[in-house]
Amino acid sequence: MTLRISAKKYIEEIQNGNLTVEEFIAKTIERIQKIDSNLHAYLEINEHAVEQARLIDKKIKAKEKVGACMGMPISIKDNICVKGTKTTCASKMLEDYISPYDATAVSKLKLEDSIIIGKTNLDEFAMGLTTEFSAFGPSKNPWNTEYVPGGSSGGSAVAVSSFECIASLGSDTGGSVRNPASFCSAVGLKPTYGLISRSGLISYSNSIEQIGPITRTVEDTAFLLNIIAGIDPHDNTTIDNHNENYLNDIDYGVEGKKIGIIKEMTQEGVDKQVSAATNKAISKLEGLGAIFEEISLDMVEYSVAAYYTITATEAGSNLARYDNLRYGYDFDSEGYEFNSYISKARKKFGPEVTRRMILGGFVPSAGHVGKYFLKAMKVKSKLTAEVNEALKKVDMLISPTVPILPFRFGEKIDDPIALFLVDINTVTANLTEKPAISIPFEISGGLPIGIQLLGNSMQDKMLLQAAYALQNTVKLPEVPV
Amino acid sequence: MAKIGLEIHCQLTNLESKLFCSCKANYREFSPNSNICPICVGLPGSLPMLNKKAVEKATMISMALNCKTPEKIAFFRKNYFYPDLPKNFQITQFDAYGTTSIGHDGKISIEGKDIRIKRIQIEEDPGRLIYEGSSEKTQITLVDYNRAGTPLVEIVTEPDFDNPKQVRLFLNILVDLLENLGVSDPTLEGALRADGNVSVEGGNKVEIKNVTSFHDLEKAIHFEITRQQSLVDRNIAVISETRQWDDRRKITISARKKEEEQDYRYFLEGDIPWIKLNSEHFEKLRKKMPENIASKRERYVEKYGITYQVADVLSSDKYYADLFEKSHNEKNAKEIANIITTDLMGLVDTREKRDISKLTHHHLTELANAIIANKISRSSAKIALQEMVRTGKSLIEIISEQDLDNVSDESMISSFIEDVLNEETDAVKEVKEKPETVNFLVGKVMKKSKGKADPSITLKILKKKLEIS
Amino acid sequence: MVSKEEIEHVAKLMRIEIDDHLVHIDRVQKMIAYFDILDKANVESEDLVVNEQTIDSLREDTYIPYEGKLIENLKNYKGTYIRAPKLN
Repeated sequence: MTLRISAKKYIEEIQNGNLTVEEFIAKTIERIQKIDSNLHAYLEINEHAVEQARLIDKKIKAKEKVGACMGMPISIKDNICVKGTKTTCASKMLEDYISPYDATAVSKLKLEDSIIIGKTNLDEFAMGLTTEFSAFGPSKNPWNTEYVPGGSSGGSAVAVSSFECIASLGSDTGGSVRNPASFCSAVGLKPTYGLISRSGLISYSNSIEQIGPITRTVEDTAFLLNIIAGIDPHDNTTIDNHNENYLNDIDYGVEGKKIGIIKEMTQEGVDKQVSAATNKAISKLEGLGAIFEEISLDMVEYSVAAYYTITATEAGSNLARYDNLRYGYDFDSEGYEFNSYISKARKKFGPEVTRRMILGGFVPSAGHVGKYFLKAMKVKSKLTAEVNEALKKVDMLISPTVPILPFRFGEKIDDPIALFLVDINTVTANLTEKPAISIPFEISGGLPIGIQLLGNSMQDKMLLQAAYALQNTVKLPEVPV
Repeated sequence: MAKIGLEIHCQLTNLESKLFCSCKANYREFSPNSNICPICVGLPGSLPMLNKKAVEKATMISMALNCKTPEKIAFFRKNYFYPDLPKNFQITQFDAYGTTSIGHDGKISIEGKDIRIKRIQIEEDPGRLIYEGSSEKTQITLVDYNRAGTPLVEIVTEPDFDNPKQVRLFLNILVDLLENLGVSDPTLEGALRADGNVSVEGGNKVEIKNVTSFHDLEKAIHFEITRQQSLVDRNIAVISETRQWDDRRKITISARKKEEEQDYRYFLEGDIPWIKLNSEHFEKLRKKMPENIASKRERYVEKYGITYQVADVLSSDKYYADLFEKSHNEKNAKEIANIITTDLMGLVDTREKRDISKLTHHHLTELANAIIANKISRSSAKIALQEMVRTGKSLIEIISEQDLDNVSDESMISSFIEDVLNEETDAVKEVKEKPETVNFLVGKVMKKSKGKADPSITLKILKKKLEIS
Repeated sequence: MVSKEEIEHVAKLMRIEIDDHLVHIDRVQKMIAYFDILDKANVESEDLVVNEQTIDSLREDTYIPYEGKLIENLKNYKGTYIRAPKLN
């Protein structure tokens, strides 16, 4: 029995009786125990997973109704609430916090009988690109453990690509699902803003982030999207997708589809291997009937500055509630005055989060709001207008997910701007609220390269169809772990 | 010449649930921290769920105050740290990117004076703080989140008031208006809070906060005007600051200055989309709007011939207006209006008395009809009314139990009269000289008959016996 | 160029005590300097793009008591209140 199968294959095997849930879960846990002390994808493992697996096997045996996931092990990024478990956001501020409720996306998965196998590592409070900012140590890229796995959903991408779970839920604020998916050779989708409920996702920048699935195949992404997408009364920003079925016609193809190549994301600053891979992807899609043209988005140049200005502002507000009074960690308030207590308590934030808090107090402040925050909001609006214009001429846009190959630990951590710029190809989708997906396309010198497709609002289905077509043009080697 | 403005916070206590979650809007019956959920306590990952009816009620307040309402409203975050603020920001409204609060540029008239309403906004109430020990030695602050998230409407006026009396009048009118709209019970503790700002010519504006009653606000404003005027008269600058009312010493005192200036970093609340209020929405609400007080009063005067003063009392108190509306018809309207505004008022003038009153509109109809048909005298009716309030019994039951029927039998009345004429010989003598004093004797007959003798018949017979016209 | 004092002032506003001043301040200055690029974007006349919904999509006004004793799961809970440090 192998763990190296897709969700689709897993379900088939369970339904055919070739596999029991307990077997698969036990083997998964064994694998985690074997490799995760090195890779550090997980912060916590579900101790009751095997028990839960047995219960599902019982239901299957008794021919009772079983949910669509049939007991498959799914991991959850540790900034998404799972009831009764620790949800730390990889931060010392929340190291003891146990959530009393499930995120909507999680409860939907549970309703379909998935097994939440564990919580995965991330950059603290989702702020980062490499998991180097996790308070509990980074995760390692399984393709080469000296290299970063990407972030902030690094743990999720590592777990999926190393067969430590079938799929994972991450969160994407500026590329945090697509970037690690690209670096680890997995599929990562950031859906249209409002497609998946954020209730239970611990907010970092609430006006642009989304929960996103990380899987090994595009089909698996579509399968999960069917379960977790949809309007939710607990999240006023969700939109009605009218129960769209994302798996139907996934093999529709790209015949006649017009795709725009984003000039600003494919020329300057792109590693030559990444450039070559992008051109190869374009050829492959042309071979399947897609038509390409060049598209220019002037605002891309300012998108990273706008992104970090807006997210710092929102993060400064979203993280204000962590004053250690109602939840957090052990720190007796006896003898302290209110303001000095919370200022001391909040020292537990890691250095990157601290810096973002300072930025977040600065850029919207009365003396500076016009120069920074309001301008950033205008860049966001103009970029949206540009992308909307472009999507009138073409059906979707293409670029490499990350302009550079995965890099080594410590390489970028001292240069804040170099680190920010790793996001330059991904923040556009967040700022414009459009869906975008990273498809694993090449392994170059042992390091993964992903290709990104960006679609129009609520056109996630079309995007998945194109992604499916692209993924099927290549057969990639398996992760060497 | 003083300029006074008001900032009023009104809780929408008549709503079932809080502004952003389904906990109870009226938190007063709960033991501490038992009316809470992940949303109003600000747990990680929780998101606000905006209450539709809160937006509707706020729109109605805006319309009732003659404000303009925008096509779309938005919510903003006001960021600051305080123990009663679970998220360390308050979701409120703010006017950036154009006007996005629920109401602006309205007006209300009080005794001929126009008070402009600058802005109306929807926002959430914070929790409540209780300080353990005296505030000097406090070591801890106790927090109760029951109130956190309660829906509030903030009403801000322009500084159009000239004196504290106008302020008081305005607040009374506002209370009636809010009750009439059915959005809030302003008599509930803490449901309606008002802060003021005061300036005199030649001085800066001073804010007065944390005044617990309207009565104290009036006094505080009065004190402030005097204080500021005396400073100006002596060419001393009036500092722009926030002051509090010290009830013990009956003065305003400077509120402790904050360490640094507050920078609230207002920005759009990303968890709540902009809400489109289309014309359909307004039409629907306009239809739902209860008749306003002034038009009710006019209607009572014109249709039923009720006097202005009586109509004013009836229309401005929802409790009386409702009773009147349900109980009256063309014939007995005036009588019912009379009963309510003379006899009933004393019996149900507080919320507690109204809560325990067993009187219904049926009782009033019965009573009025009985008076008109002469079945019961006014004084007996007073007694019957008291009994109705106390026990809720029907008129028929009360009349028989307490023997309140009017006595109209002439021979019975005659015999009462004979008794009185024999007893009150002095009065009888006086009547021969001053016929108008016959009423004294009528009174005595009423007393003898325990109020039951029909007064007009009594007078008729008395006059006959005394041979006066 | 943002001064050290301004950054310290903001840290106070955000209620975070910072020990290692120099490390943070240097990086924060670099980040803010980078944001200056926004001035070149030429977006003064741009209108805001917003997400809208109608009032009909909002939550109905019903009271639903929260199941479970939420308050007991929060720290600093002793008896009936949450205990917070005194205010200045």
